[in-house]
Amino acid sequence: MGALLEVQHLKKFYPTARGVLHAVDDVSFSLEGGKTLGVVGESGCGKSTLGKTILRLEDPTSGSIQFEGKEIGGLSTGEFKHYRKEMQMIFQDPFASLNPRMSVRQIIAETFDIYPELCPKEEIGKRVDELMDTVGLAKRFANSYPHELDGGRRQRIGIARALSMRPKFIVCDEPVSALDVSIQAQILNLLQDLQEQMGIAYIFITHDLSVVKHISDEICVMYLGQVVEQCATKELFNNTLHPYTQALLSAIPVPSLHNRRKKILLKGELSSPIDPKPGCRFAARCIYATEECHKSTPKLREACPGHFAACHHIGNMGET
Amino acid sequence: MSKTVLEVKDLVVHYETDEAVVEAVNNISFSLEAGDTLGLVGETGAGKTTVALSIMGLLPYPPSHIVQGSILLDGQDITKLKERELRKIRGNKVSMIFQDPMTALNPVRTVGEQIAEVIRLHQKVSRKEAYQKAEEMLEMVGIPKERSKEYPHQFSGGMKQRVVIAIALACNPELLIADEPTTALDVTIQAQVLELMRDLQKNNQTALLLITHDFGVVADICKKCAVIYAGEIVEYGTVEDIFDHPAHPYTLGLFHSLPSLDEDVERLTPIDGMMSDPTDLPTGCSFCDRCDRATSLCSQSDPALVELSRGHYVKCHHCVKEEN
Amino acid sequence: MAKMQTPAMARLARKNRRRKQEAGVSSLGYEAWKRLKRNRMAMIGMVIILLLIACAIFAPLIAPYDYEYQDYNAILQPPSGTHLMGTDNFGRDIFSRVVYGTRISIPIGLICVCISSTVGGTFGALAAFYGGKTENIIMRFMDIYQSIPSMLLAIAIAAALGSGMRNLIFAIALGTIPLYARVVRGAILTVKRKDYVQAARAIGASTGRLIIKHMLPNCVGPIIVQMTFSVAAGILTAASLSYIGLGIAPPTPEWGAMLNAGKQYLQTYPHMLIFPGLMIMITVLALNLFGDGLRDALDPRLK
Repeated sequence: MGALLEVQHLKKFYPTARGVLHAVDDVSFSLEGGKTLGVVGESGCGKSTLGKTILRLEDPTSGSIQFEGKEIGGLSTGEFKHYRKEMQMIFQDPFASLNPRMSVRQIIAETFDIYPELCPKEEIGKRVDELMDTVGLAKRFANSYPHELDGGRRQRIGIARALSMRPKFIVCDEPVSALDVSIQAQILNLLQDLQEQMGIAYIFITHDLSVVKHISDEICVMYLGQVVEQCATKELFNNTLHPYTQALLSAIPVPSLHNRRKKILLKGELSSPIDPKPGCRFAARCIYATEECHKSTPKLREACPGHFAACHHIGNMGET
Repeated sequence: MSKTVLEVKDLVVHYETDEAVVEAVNNISFSLEAGDTLGLVGETGAGKTTVALSIMGLLPYPPSHIVQGSILLDGQDITKLKERELRKIRGNKVSMIFQDPMTALNPVRTVGEQIAEVIRLHQKVSRKEAYQKAEEMLEMVGIPKERSKEYPHQFSGGMKQRVVIAIALACNPELLIADEPTTALDVTIQAQVLELMRDLQKNNQTALLLITHDFGVVADICKKCAVIYAGEIVEYGTVEDIFDHPAHPYTLGLFHSLPSLDEDVERLTPIDGMMSDPTDLPTGCSFCDRCDRATSLCSQSDPALVELSRGHYVKCHHCVKEEN
Repeated sequence: MAKMQTPAMARLARKNRRRKQEAGVSSLGYEAWKRLKRNRMAMIGMVIILLLIACAIFAPLIAPYDYEYQDYNAILQPPSGTHLMGTDNFGRDIFSRVVYGTRISIPIGLICVCISSTVGGTFGALAAFYGGKTENIIMRFMDIYQSIPSMLLAIAIAAALGSGMRNLIFAIALGTIPLYARVVRGAILTVKRKDYVQAARAIGASTGRLIIKHMLPNCVGPIIVQMTFSVAAGILTAASLSYIGLGIAPPTPEWGAMLNAGKQYLQTYPHMLIFPGLMIMITVLALNLFGDGLRDALDPRLK
């Protein structure tokens, strides 16, 4: 079976006053139906832009996006409308992503106003009830307004809205990072259940490695617009190759007093990817950096089967 | 035994709005000794920040007011002090680090001036001496002193938080309150800032009250931990007590909700439902609606905080006391 | 550390529950109304406006005389029992004329606002939504437009088209179009990048739907407020134009025209000016008070 989504050399640049911002710089991956690809990185690494560009909320600068074998990167808004139904998005901030002037029912039913073919008029009420049931929202909230509900319930509305057109894949942009841990777990479980029942594929964008480990089949680690490491989830955690991923993993505060990792403290902070110089973008903070790293950009290469990393020193520094 | 810096006794804080009375903090008591680090863990709306603001005497009045209880800072009850007296204490004996470093600094003054300002407010030193001290503070938090003449927007998020920490520690306070100090920062930057806070705290013997929702951060720098739910402490003890022998169903629930990096868990076990409305708390145990151990006893009477083992307190009817 | 459960606290809990039930059905509009109700000045303004509207509707029932009826036995009478506000130089009852005047002034204010807000608002919304070149062209045009003093523009138009209510409305409405273009553009710009607008784009909403369903309802606050203020401004402009003889022609009882007619009797019979002047003042004040209150009520941050 071919991939559901195939992204090749995708680039998204923004012109700014200080130069060209390379928000997404040459990212490629493919996603199979019913699977989850986790995209991890810190703020400013381009992970949100990547999600928005795939959904054509932003126009790609170059590169190709193929959905079920058809190129969608260059379609006009009108032509793309047909594909909108297949791909949806869940937003980070459940307080900002719902129109405060619309009731829960209106928000979920809006899809059917836009795509009348999805549901005959007289069945809209029933369908909304069904959707609310699917995401675990009690019917009594149908006429409530978003500001009357808490974060967890609001995020469920966002999920119901995304599900309303029965999409084949959903971009989840930090769907749980604005939620409390106990609510976060409820939403993660819901997303997993929906995947099992409906076979939806996810692109799960987050900064939280423990969440991404929990939910993903495969993980992309991004740094300043580029993918630095990409492989199956287990492989990434058992055999971390890229020094950035290693540092990221070690930096997570672990809620336990035992088997604590030795922290690798990175020097400095993320720079911004405006007019990046050639060379590895991580070199300035990397403990293994040599002259070569500052001169030439490492390519993403297959270090072990199915495990890609972009670093000149893989193998040299010893597999940790 | 070192001296007690802070003692909060039976603190009750309400917010009164036109619509309702929000019972934000209900009978919280704890104390902190010099050099102690206490992590106050809870979810949004649990009343963590209200506790912090009460200690700083920064509660907005109205709508909030302290219904009962006392807050003894170095033996002095700050709930009875006037604003003028409070100002002498704030930034001097007790200071606070806020969650968002982006908005905590004045954008039109250099960071050096901002640190020097606090020093001059509380100590009789010349402008020049204060500025020198400010530069020392910057070096202490790992920023070269040459940058003291720069403005906040020239610093990145992590660097700004370091400046905020420098301001907070400038007068060598006895108590430092940190309200979600690293939540707005990236993981790698968070690790740097936590490392810095741990070092500073160790060297200066400042008592630290760390407010967070993240057990990971608590495990990193705290010695004691209080879990707070609906304005009450539901479990209190050393970090070993809380992390290795959690007893309260809410604490357990929080741990089970966290996806783990070390273990492979197919499904998380979240806590059912959500926190009860602080304008309408149940009569009995405030956690009983979400608790799988709840019995009719729980919905009728509110459990007391009992000592399970030495120094480990739990507020639950169903936690059996260990005999040691 | 058991929680106390005194009778006082139980009462408190009950009160909270009841308050919440009342607030249970609340929508944003309802909440705004609740806040508005608390603002006494705004409520006074609203009551006056409602009274004026009632006055316009029931003018024939309220006015004791016809506004055109001339009683030559009773010219220039001071206020008395038979003529509440006295009579003018043709022996017409001023009270009746003032009452009928609401039928002219209030519609002028309202219609002007409807026209200018629709036209100006559309331009502003399009400018903000598309940005770039479209925005530049529309807004620079509005800048030039706005640099012409609106009073002068109204005078020019009224002079060119002649007097009469329709031309008057047209002249006033045209002058305030750029104002609305600006207000609406600013309002739309603030909501344009909001996540919920992105979310609506993600489900495939069209441009019209985005603007009408998702953007406008979230920025009506400043627009509505601007509208109440410019109803007042419209009434004032109409009165001014009538005063200089370019608006409503006599004998139609427009307040400004009445002022104009009374100006030569200013020293001898000031009641001819005082009452229509007072009406203009009260109307404008009421609208401004209401507009102020509305602005505060619609801003949820001022809760």
